[in-house]
Amino acid sequence: MTGPTWKDRLSDAMPEHLAREIDVFEGQIELKKAGKLDDKIFAETRLRRGAYGQRYDNGMRNDGTGQQPLVFPTALTKGPDTMWDAPGMQRIKNPFGKVTAEQMDVMSDLADEYSDSILHVTTRQDIQLHFVHIEDCPDMHRRLAATGITTREACGNSVRNVTACEFSGVCSTEGFDVTPYADAVTQYFLGHPDVQDFGRKFKIAFSGCHDEPCGATTFHDLGAIAEVRDGKRGFRVVVGGGLGAVPVKAKVLSEFCEERELLPLAQAVCRVFARLGEKQSRARARIKFLVQKVGLEEFKKLVAEERSKLRDDPRWTAFLSDLSATDETPIRPGAPLATGDAAFQKWAETNLRPQSQDGYYVATIKMPLGDFTSTQGRVLADLAREYTGDTIRLTIEQNVALRWLSGADAYAFYQRLVDNGMGDAGARTITDIAACPGTDTCKLGISASRGLAGELRKRLKVIEDDLPPEVRALRIKASGCFNSCSQHHAADIGFLGVSRNVGGRKVPHFNVIVGGSFQKNAGEYGLVAGAVPSKAVPKAVEMITQKYTAEREGDESFHDFIERVGKGAIRKLLKPIAKAPAYEDDPSFYSDWRDPREYTIGDLGIGECAGEIVPFVEFGLQAAEQELYEAQELHEKKESAPAAGKAFAAMVTAAKALVRFLDVQCRDDADDVIAQFRTHLFDTKVFFDPYAKGKFANYLLKLHESRSFTNADDEIAHRTLDEAQLFIEAAHACYQRITEASADAAE
Amino acid sequence: MTNPNLAERVQLKFYATDHVPAMDLIPVFHKWITDKVIDDELMIDVADYSHVDKGPGVVLIGHASDYYYDLGEGRPGLKYSRKRGGNADATLNVADAFKRALTACVRLQKESGLSLAFSAQEALFSIQDRLHAPNDDATFDAFKATLEPIAKKALGDVTLTREGDARLGLTIRIRAQGAGSMEDAAARL
Ligand code: SF4
Repeated sequence: MTGPTWKDRLSDAMPEHLAREIDVFEGQIELKKAGKLDDKIFAETRLRRGAYGQRYDNGMRNDGTGQQPLVFPTALTKGPDTMWDAPGMQRIKNPFGKVTAEQMDVMSDLADEYSDSILHVTTRQDIQLHFVHIEDCPDMHRRLAATGITTREACGNSVRNVTACEFSGVCSTEGFDVTPYADAVTQYFLGHPDVQDFGRKFKIAFSGCHDEPCGATTFHDLGAIAEVRDGKRGFRVVVGGGLGAVPVKAKVLSEFCEERELLPLAQAVCRVFARLGEKQSRARARIKFLVQKVGLEEFKKLVAEERSKLRDDPRWTAFLSDLSATDETPIRPGAPLATGDAAFQKWAETNLRPQSQDGYYVATIKMPLGDFTSTQGRVLADLAREYTGDTIRLTIEQNVALRWLSGADAYAFYQRLVDNGMGDAGARTITDIAACPGTDTCKLGISASRGLAGELRKRLKVIEDDLPPEVRALRIKASGCFNSCSQHHAADIGFLGVSRNVGGRKVPHFNVIVGGSFQKNAGEYGLVAGAVPSKAVPKAVEMITQKYTAEREGDESFHDFIERVGKGAIRKLLKPIAKAPAYEDDPSFYSDWRDPREYTIGDLGIGECAGEIVPFVEFGLQAAEQELYEAQELHEKKESAPAAGKAFAAMVTAAKALVRFLDVQCRDDADDVIAQFRTHLFDTKVFFDPYAKGKFANYLLKLHESRSFTNADDEIAHRTLDEAQLFIEAAHACYQRITEASADAAE
Repeated sequence: MTNPNLAERVQLKFYATDHVPAMDLIPVFHKWITDKVIDDELMIDVADYSHVDKGPGVVLIGHASDYYYDLGEGRPGLKYSRKRGGNADATLNVADAFKRALTACVRLQKESGLSLAFSAQEALFSIQDRLHAPNDDATFDAFKATLEPIAKKALGDVTLTREGDARLGLTIRIRAQGAGSMEDAAARL
């Protein structure tokens, strides 16, 4: 007996083109099962539909004492080294974070049926469902499509979810409502042929103003900030920002781009990126590297040339004739804020923000670690229907906002939240911690960012009322690795997972990054002040915040405080807790937060989080870039010898990545890495540049011999940094040559 | 025409009488994976949602089914959740869910250092399949004949009541008159 199917049930509800696309995807699943589709092609296909792999999907799990095979029912794979039956993650793309009540209901249903009843809000206004099976994806996609959601290009090397401030249209500081523009960009680029051939993902963000943090345009590939000049609407357009191992601030591409020029300008940027962006080495394929490589002025010229070649497209301006199409209509009359009990007052202080429209408020519902249950999702849908209309927005701080809440309803609304476990005060404060999935589910996770964030949150909740206001206002973000998905560079105190060897064992650590700022669209990136063991992080937070309170001058912001005292002072402060105790003295340091297994990085896989299959060697090369970045920071602070030492370490990291890529075993220490590098990459001339020959390799070998970095002065440090930069570039090139040669040989 | 007997995604929750912080279950579930305690199923990972109010708590993630130390409704309990690979025969599928849920409860009761106990007097059964098993009276009536004999066999005399709003999958509260132990209930299946 066969029953009904979602395909039949929803055939009239789905837009035809979405229904067709999903059928095609389902067909590809069948082809893959029949062994008629290549692993890599299928991986890219599912990624473009937002269906990711998760930790352990290579069929191995480290239980703390060793690797354990996970024997899945079929030997089939859904990508290189990715088991078919392994649980994966479905990303649901919600342009500018907008969700209707109906969509919220459906996503909650999907969480119940295909996942574990949890909806996770990401830092890019998506929803993620974890532990889903690939074969359930087409029905999930159909049910989403019936509510107008497509997961197309939720991942993959294309234009990702277009984000925008959750306050767009209701904010008193905005130039104008950016929602219709974000919507137009979303629609225009979805499936557009000019964005299908990128070497990496491309992220676009909109912001309504310059000074508030909501849009975070600074770290986006393309950012558009609303501006009105002489009564005309337009945007300040920035390009080439990004976080990751090498955080870069976006640069101004156009001081004022008129609204009618926004889409063609963005298209020209995409075309330049598609044509000239790096394709082989994914580690250097984001547009920030292209802007750096050609220089901003040349990049602008290229974009202008491209723009001049574009043929007019009516869609560039069609949406301008009805900018109110995305407007929201309140369903209740606006009124002054109701009074309520003390708990309500406390909540209102941090979680309610008055709109530019009198009598209305934006309510931010704080979701711990970005998680809420399907039951809570349905309550949110009900609340939207009863109080605000379809005005739900997901926020980049992993919360949910409901707009157009009448002041008169605020107390009743709040009580419903409390009844359903969502009445936590303190949105946008120190207890509102952002965290990426980290080792919980991400294949690239090095440390337990969620475990850490959960622990910090629990401890800070206990003391939050006693914290000084300047400390309560701080923002904390934690990433499981340097890919920076929590956006930790823009936090007051950020953490990024790293691993360290102590006495022959691995110990989970976090780099502590201080002094970033979410203000001015995430206008300041923090600096690494050193690494501390995971288990010492709560103490680190306590020490840093106490120092801030004790030494703060006047109204000094945390960012200004860090600028004044210097990162060195924080490093010194943390020194007493930077070293993990010996295993025999305290084994708890040798496992991560909320994970009793002895810590290992043996579970690290080939990453899909960063957008596509990332070979491990690229992970190593990115780590080298990160170290070089830290070396540059040290140099800027005139810490010459540490800067030179760090630059040398970066070279060793890059060399190690290549050595291991050649399947040569080597230990972590520099002596062994360099011995293996000499044997397998230098003596064989594999590393040799076609023009410079062994020059760059010699930088490493000579530094290793002379150890000139140990007491480097400013000049030596400078030279070492330059050499490290060239060596890492050469490492990327070498990796590229090897992969190209293998591909040729395979053909 | 919907037919709940075609659905394999069944869930069954037994409530804890003595409960413990959800985080205490994290090492237990990891141990269950390492030691292959559930020897006929592939268990993969442990998901921690203890930070979410009335949420899924701590989940032992498997390939075919999950085991939750569930905090839903604000009432901790062990929830068994079949995801795939169920029996095509609904009766066998439901009986299997009872057996696995009860066995897991008994195991948890025996976990040294946990002091967790469950009641065999009440359970919450649901089908997470809105296509085949919407939460309405017709579906409830159609499914009662499948569920009731198995619930009776395990728990003694029972009353079944449908509950929850129409957006949920079929949701049935099971109340048992007797006061048998989890061990007895498990042994009867
Ligand atoms: S890639 Fe790194 S930063 Fe991103 S989710 Fe994974 S662990 Fe977190």
